[in-house]
Amino acid sequence: MADPPVVRTRGLTKRYRGTDALVGLDLEVAAGEVVGYLGPNGAGKTTTIRLLLGLIRPTSGTAEVFGLDSLRDAVAVHRRLAYVSGEQSLWPNLTGAEALHLLGQVQGTVDAGYRDELVGRFDLDPSKKVRAYSKGNRQKVGLIAALASRPDLLVLDEPTAGLDPLMAHEFRRCVGEARTRGQTVFLSSHVLSEVEALCDRVAVLREGRLIEMGTLADMRHLSAVTVEVTFESDAPDLSAVDGVLSASSHGHHASLQVHGPMEPLLRVLAAAGVRQLRSREPSLEELFLTLYGDGDGATGDG
Amino acid sequence: MTAELATVPVAHPGAAPAGRSPTTVVLRRTARRTVRSGALWGYVFGAVVVSSAWSYSSIYKTPAERAALAAAFGSNRTTIALFGPAPHLETVAGFTVLKTFLTLTVIGAVWGLLTATRLLRGEEQDGRWELLLAGATTRGRAAAQALGGLLAGIAVLWAVTALLLVVAGRSSRVDIGPGAALFFALALVAGALMFTAVGALTSQLAATRRQAAGYAGAFLGVSYALRLVADSGTGLHWLVWCTPLGWIEGLHPLTSARWLPLVPVGAFTVVVGVVTVRLAASRDIGSSTIPDRDRAAPRLRLLSGQLGLTVRLVRPTLVAWALALAATGLIFGLVAEGAGATLSGSSVHDVFARLGASGGGASAYLGITFLLVAVLLAFVAAAQVTAARSEELDGRLDPLLTRPVARTRWLAGRLGVAVLALTAGATVAGLATLAGAVAGGAHVDGGAVVGAGLNTLAPSVCVLGLGVLAYGIAPRSASLAVYAVVAWSVLVDVIGGIGALDHWVADTSVFHQMAAAPSAPPHWPAIGWMVALGVLSAVAGCAAFARRDVQGA
Repeated sequence: MADPPVVRTRGLTKRYRGTDALVGLDLEVAAGEVVGYLGPNGAGKTTTIRLLLGLIRPTSGTAEVFGLDSLRDAVAVHRRLAYVSGEQSLWPNLTGAEALHLLGQVQGTVDAGYRDELVGRFDLDPSKKVRAYSKGNRQKVGLIAALASRPDLLVLDEPTAGLDPLMAHEFRRCVGEARTRGQTVFLSSHVLSEVEALCDRVAVLREGRLIEMGTLADMRHLSAVTVEVTFESDAPDLSAVDGVLSASSHGHHASLQVHGPMEPLLRVLAAAGVRQLRSREPSLEELFLTLYGDGDGATGDG
Repeated sequence: MTAELATVPVAHPGAAPAGRSPTTVVLRRTARRTVRSGALWGYVFGAVVVSSAWSYSSIYKTPAERAALAAAFGSNRTTIALFGPAPHLETVAGFTVLKTFLTLTVIGAVWGLLTATRLLRGEEQDGRWELLLAGATTRGRAAAQALGGLLAGIAVLWAVTALLLVVAGRSSRVDIGPGAALFFALALVAGALMFTAVGALTSQLAATRRQAAGYAGAFLGVSYALRLVADSGTGLHWLVWCTPLGWIEGLHPLTSARWLPLVPVGAFTVVVGVVTVRLAASRDIGSSTIPDRDRAAPRLRLLSGQLGLTVRLVRPTLVAWALALAATGLIFGLVAEGAGATLSGSSVHDVFARLGASGGGASAYLGITFLLVAVLLAFVAAAQVTAARSEELDGRLDPLLTRPVARTRWLAGRLGVAVLALTAGATVAGLATLAGAVAGGAHVDGGAVVGAGLNTLAPSVCVLGLGVLAYGIAPRSASLAVYAVVAWSVLVDVIGGIGALDHWVADTSVFHQMAAAPSAPPHWPAIGWMVALGVLSAVAGCAAFARRDVQGA
């Protein structure tokens, strides 16, 4: 028999006082995979991760990491994984260096050379006290401590929250290195581009339920672009144009979700008297609204 | 989702609904939290004064006993230095002032400075002000609002204290007129008022809540020391006008009320308040007027594991407590001889016997003072439960528990450190009391006094265990539960001490179970029961903690 998957959940469910935070999650992550865990805020990403870490008990179902029960065998599981939370809380009176030392000692394994290299790469001033750090700097301490222990599994819960773009880029490089070394990565995020850049497979979560799971190629339909157009006069109806998934307009202004080649849209726009054109990556909320609907007919004025 | 959100009414910046203006958010928030605490402490103040007045009339029944008391304490330099002048000790009013005035003033001052630093610097340090402010008001106005909120809390503190005094004053055993009661309540909260302002000021000066409380506490210490020197009969009595505690002393409530010292009290509060608002307006949020030491060379000695981290985190608090216990023990030891000498009347013996003390003189007096040591230690134990909970609440437990650290080992480690600290505190209190007693010329058995210190350990171990049980089962209510156990025990023991309770109610107090060593031998079965209850509760609490969800904010 082959090695057990690094992560396996069966019917994993967590209910808080009548609200379903997570319902019947079946998930497998194989060794060496980099898996993205996508969903808007409040979808149940953090709940899943806290269940995997044994910080909370499932209402029903099981969570196994390295083939061990995540709650009963928490200590054995934690020897082989490292976790970074999106809200890194540390002890305010410790300096960065002290916090890194402590976390390394508690973890038991630490690649001191790699840690010092990461301190440099992330441009962290370790002589400062944690209470003087910005949220981004606290986040760096968590990331460096986790990466420097060279764990078999990295569990990252929105790890780039609070990092500036330069540091977010450095973080991506680090995850790339971890992948090359054969480490498994479980990355929760609500930033689509981050997941696209890093992950082999993506799981999509919404309102506590897993709604899609597959490779990025399978998920191509997720890579829509939001286009905002301001016209010289009233906006025309663009919903029938090829590639436009949805369109809403308000006076001179139109907002479109576009998927696939832009050319058909551009050809229509070229003749329509455009004053201003902006395109950006849609937020997950926008995407989900477009792709999966809301059930009670969202008005298109957002 | 968008549709749902769109139906929520959004407050427009220019047109705030009446009474819920976003620009007074700091005022309302601060007021809500201070008022709650002020009401609680007002009740404590009132209860302490009333119980003290009642106990006087039951202890000192005859004019002869009262005259003896006045002779022993009225001109005793040590007593006056420590507790302030004690005129008219042959009256309920005079005794009540001696017993409660300065003590409650200092407690009120500590309450004020801790409340102010928590609600100003603490909130700012945790980043909550940033969210609240977000352009709604200026720094200076926010500070003024916070001061307003604190003032509301102090007003409630005064109102509740005054209400209890006026109502209880009608009893013939207390006999305080409504006017005198209102003025005494005012005098009692004057310390809280001035030191709330001081706490608000140091919250501008220092970068952390702990530092701000430290500066304000140091100012209180200096104020107390100046008053102590002024009252110690060394010809420096004019110093009494140089310290806030001296002004308060000058009010002479109940005995010979004077209004004039209210002028410096009011002026001081206003000036400090204005300076606070000015400083707040002139600095950036999160920064401090006195530059913060943001950098430090790494000290790694203790940081080799979670146990060492626990030691490092709780050490400053526990050392401060140990010093407070030492000072308390020393003071009580110093006055033991003089105090013991008055305990000769038969009715006095009655009351002390009810509190568990027997024998006479200094030893009987110390039997009662170690009760206070036991109460302080129980508060130390309760605070350790709260500290463990706040590690979890603020998410600092996650970085440990997501590494190879078993939950039970972490909690057991914290428990072990707490028990060691309590033991050290009890030992220090015993030794300091002995040192004070010897210096004060009391003839006491050294072994018995040190043993009396250790005798205070059992209730706090019991409280600690019960607190851990609450933490394991109901973390969100753990702080409330553990402080409720201590408060209930104090209340029952105080009321039980004046003989107003059935013994089965009195038995629910952990302090009532404790023998009044050194005047009575330690009560071993009770010690055994309390420690066993503590240990069993702690074990059950650890087991429950291992099985429950980790619950952050």
